[in-house]
Amino acid sequence: MALPLYPERDSQKKKSEIPFCFPNMAAARRLKRVVASQPGFLPIKSPSEPVSTRRKRVNKNRKKNWNKYSDINDVEEFLEDVRLQERTTGGLLSEKTDDSLFFLDAGQPEKVEQEAPGPAEGKKRKGKASRPLRIDLILQHDSLVPPPKDVLAYQQPNAKKLRRIAQKAEQLAAKGVVPRRQKQLLNRRPVERTVKKAVTEANNNPDRDYYDIWGQESKDSGDPWYLQQTRKKLVKRPEKLNEKPSVLPAVEVIAPGGSYNPDFFSHQALLQEAHEVEVKKQKEEDKIVRQITVNKEDTATEETIFQEQVEGLVEEENEEEETAPDDEEESVVVGAIAVAEKKTERQRKRQRADKIKEQQRLADRRQVDQRQQLFQLRSIKASIKQQEKATAVRQIKRKVKQEAQKAQPRRLGRLKFQPQDLEVQLSDELAGSLRQLKPEGSVLKDRFKSLQKRNLIEPRERAKFKRRHKVKYVEKRAFRAIT
Amino acid sequence: MGGLQKKKFERGSATNYITRNKARKKLQLSLPDFRRLCILKGIYPHEPKHKKKVNKGSTAPRTFYLVKDIRFLLHEPIVGKFRDYKVFVRKLKKAYAKTEYSDVERLKDNKPTYKLDHIIKERYPTFIDALRDIDDALCMCFLFSTFARTGKCHVQTIQLCRRLTVEWMNYVIASRSLKKVFLSIKGIYYQAEVMGQLITWLVPYQFSHDHPTDVDYRVMATFTELYTTLLGFVNFRLYHSLNLVYPPKMDSKSDLELKGEDEEDYAMDSESYLEKLSALSTSLARVFSSVEDEEAQLDQFPVEGEDMENMEAREKEQKQQETQTKLFEGLKFFLNREVPRESLAFIIRCFGGQVSWDKSVCIGSTYDATDETITHQIVDRPNIDKQYISRYYIQPQWVFDCVNAKILLPVEDYFMGVTLPPHLSPFVEEKEGDYVPPEKLKVMALQQGKKPEQEEEDEDEEDEEGEDEEEEDDNDDDEEDEEEEAEEKSLKKMEEQRSQGKSLQVKVTPGKVKVENPARLEQEQKAEEKRLAIMMMKKKEKYLYDKIMFGKKRKIREANKLAAKRKAYDDAEKAKKKKARK
Repeated sequence: MALPLYPERDSQKKKSEIPFCFPNMAAARRLKRVVASQPGFLPIKSPSEPVSTRRKRVNKNRKKNWNKYSDINDVEEFLEDVRLQERTTGGLLSEKTDDSLFFLDAGQPEKVEQEAPGPAEGKKRKGKASRPLRIDLILQHDSLVPPPKDVLAYQQPNAKKLRRIAQKAEQLAAKGVVPRRQKQLLNRRPVERTVKKAVTEANNNPDRDYYDIWGQESKDSGDPWYLQQTRKKLVKRPEKLNEKPSVLPAVEVIAPGGSYNPDFFSHQALLQEAHEVEVKKQKEEDKIVRQITVNKEDTATEETIFQEQVEGLVEEENEEEETAPDDEEESVVVGAIAVAEKKTERQRKRQRADKIKEQQRLADRRQVDQRQQLFQLRSIKASIKQQEKATAVRQIKRKVKQEAQKAQPRRLGRLKFQPQDLEVQLSDELAGSLRQLKPEGSVLKDRFKSLQKRNLIEPRERAKFKRRHKVKYVEKRAFRAIT
Repeated sequence: MGGLQKKKFERGSATNYITRNKARKKLQLSLPDFRRLCILKGIYPHEPKHKKKVNKGSTAPRTFYLVKDIRFLLHEPIVGKFRDYKVFVRKLKKAYAKTEYSDVERLKDNKPTYKLDHIIKERYPTFIDALRDIDDALCMCFLFSTFARTGKCHVQTIQLCRRLTVEWMNYVIASRSLKKVFLSIKGIYYQAEVMGQLITWLVPYQFSHDHPTDVDYRVMATFTELYTTLLGFVNFRLYHSLNLVYPPKMDSKSDLELKGEDEEDYAMDSESYLEKLSALSTSLARVFSSVEDEEAQLDQFPVEGEDMENMEAREKEQKQQETQTKLFEGLKFFLNREVPRESLAFIIRCFGGQVSWDKSVCIGSTYDATDETITHQIVDRPNIDKQYISRYYIQPQWVFDCVNAKILLPVEDYFMGVTLPPHLSPFVEEKEGDYVPPEKLKVMALQQGKKPEQEEEDEDEEDEEGEDEEEEDDNDDDEEDEEEEAEEKSLKKMEEQRSQGKSLQVKVTPGKVKVENPARLEQEQKAEEKRLAIMMMKKKEKYLYDKIMFGKKRKIREANKLAAKRKAYDDAEKAKKKKARK
């Protein structure tokens, strides 16, 4: 009773599994045939296994249960074997002819001798080069089963209809009839592929064109009042704005010592100048250093620290003596204020009379002096002349100073103008020829400083990055775990 | 008593000035925009005389502008464009943030732009005004055109600057107006005279940039923006004044000459024309292809009241200038690859020379190194393998020095591998009595048509010659000085003799008839008159006169000292050289 059950179950299994393994119908059919032809299909029951007399009853109303209670390993193994055979040999070994499986071993073939002249001709290298790479070999399709043909790839939906349409189009084209769709496209106006307006109209467009700006007269079209009110006419520029803020020339030529191959003396003169600038800078630095150094006498020594600590604790004898006279002085001062008394009537009268008398005396004196000046006329004239001379001198001086000021950079903002470092090459840096010349300084910086020097822009420093909020440092948990 | 109480800072200078921040707020612009506007319109900050009054009692350092200037700025149409631009940036940012890229494209297409033409017209009402201010523009454009295209500024700006500078150089070549060149350690200074204006500009050496950090590139770019516009209009006008086609075109003749070569190796088709122009080796096309009618003499009409001498002098000067502009005419140069091509080609072409270079160096070379007609080959290396006997091999400094000296200097000092004479600055003008370096004296002598007596073999002579000349110079300054010196010398001699114990030579010789030299007599008369005049001077005037003379003498003394020093230095150098030779 037990035995006949197995094939039944297996066949069921096979039906369910074959479509899964071989989507190709032809392959499935072949497999079925193979399976039917195999003699050793039924599993050989091991004799050691006790044959249970009672069949275990299980529910097989679900697919899950089929798998659970039936052993399909043997079938699988068998199928795996078949597939392996097909993959490696291209078919089942049992179906192959003997000729294809065996051959007669008749010793070494003569191929070796034939190949021997090959390398002598020098073709070995070529053969080596044509050998495929190992990686390609690995990736090669090594199964002898041909890949399944994808039918869908060759199918086309509505193929017939499309074919008809194409035929008709051909016919029409032969007649010279253009389809409506194409006609529409042809009739459409071509899209203007112009360059972007933003590029062509930009101020720095390298292909921009210029015209004679000074030649043409301004077209006075329309009412001037209208033009002014509608902001068509530009406001006239005040003449004063065309004055330059400095008298310095735009390009200041470097001193003759700055030549790439300078005359000895002019080079020395330039070096001297640069040296003086450097010395001045150094002096200023030294001054600051001197000012901020700590005075040795001001630092606390052990002695002074001790003194400070015991200040007021140790009584000194002369202290009291010193304090005593102070008190006396104070009392005297207080007394003096207290002593001040009211003046009597008589005293007041007297004072008034004295005052008037004094005034009279001074007035008399002034009159006499004025009268006397008549005789001093010459000396007075001389002194006036001297004064005038002095003012003239001062005026000239001030004029000169003002003139000099015109060439000076003004103070236009928070920062003062800092002149550029002098470009100088030391005697051993000078190049012997133009080829070996190492340019000094930067023209860009020179231009920038020149603009500042001529008061066209105010000296500024680069904006510093300022953090608005303080950065908060938080230790990460992972980091904390380690430490 | 009565009246309203006067409030502080409501009249006077306090109302004439406005701080930068207030001005900015008044114009409703951000600080960078405000700064840009001020640069474009040519409105600069002012330093008030009494800062405390202007600053309403505070002494904090601030930047001030004149109120009237700012009021003038309010009318500028560009202000509106700046505001538009601000809105544009805001919209663009928003579109980006929302990843609406079609919007981004649309916005970018409609980016607000502005032109500076009206500002140029307004700031420079006449062409000469513009020409006077062109120095800055040239410097800036030359500077920007050498920048690498690395995003320090817009690539378009660099291209435009390059184009404008090439146009300018071509103009200078066509008009032959270059005057001076100076190779400094900073860059090359050029000076040209265009329409009576001296124009100086500075060109940096190629590839010499390290970008300094303390330069505000935005400010510089704004200046460049203005200057490119200015230079373009000036170029247009200058080209038309010479009857040249404005976007410069190469001569059809020279164009054909250059055609056959392989241009694709150097530049794309779109750029090759500019590149060929910038090679500076071709002449430009004219509006009317004139048949060399420049040679036609201008008719001369003597102006009344102008004597013939004056006119002759003028004519002579003109002739001299003409010869100077044709300094290199007829010479054929070839530039080796190690010399700065652009500046040399520019200078040589400015003075009418023909120039070429190796084909692989740059586009636009016109002949080969093997050309037998080449007269000068410019070389900057110690030696060269294959030399032609038909040409001079000279160092590049020769070209620059020739231009400054306005004559063709002897080539011997500039041969390949020779230690060069110093390159003197042509921008220094010595006054009377100043120290003049001997090299310059030599050049001056050459200019006057004297030949150097001997060549390198005996430098001593030359030195002596230089000194002699110097002395002569001094003598020219004041004859009186010389007389005094002569007297002193004779006296000294006598004294020396006396001190050495020799008895004075007393002899009686037969008298001779003095030959009276009329010229000498006249001179003596003059000297006598001068002495008398000095004697008759008032005390005050005499004092002044003495002072002036003393100053002159001091100057001469200093110059002599320097010359002596120089001689000592030269001697030392020579001794060293001799030693080295041994």
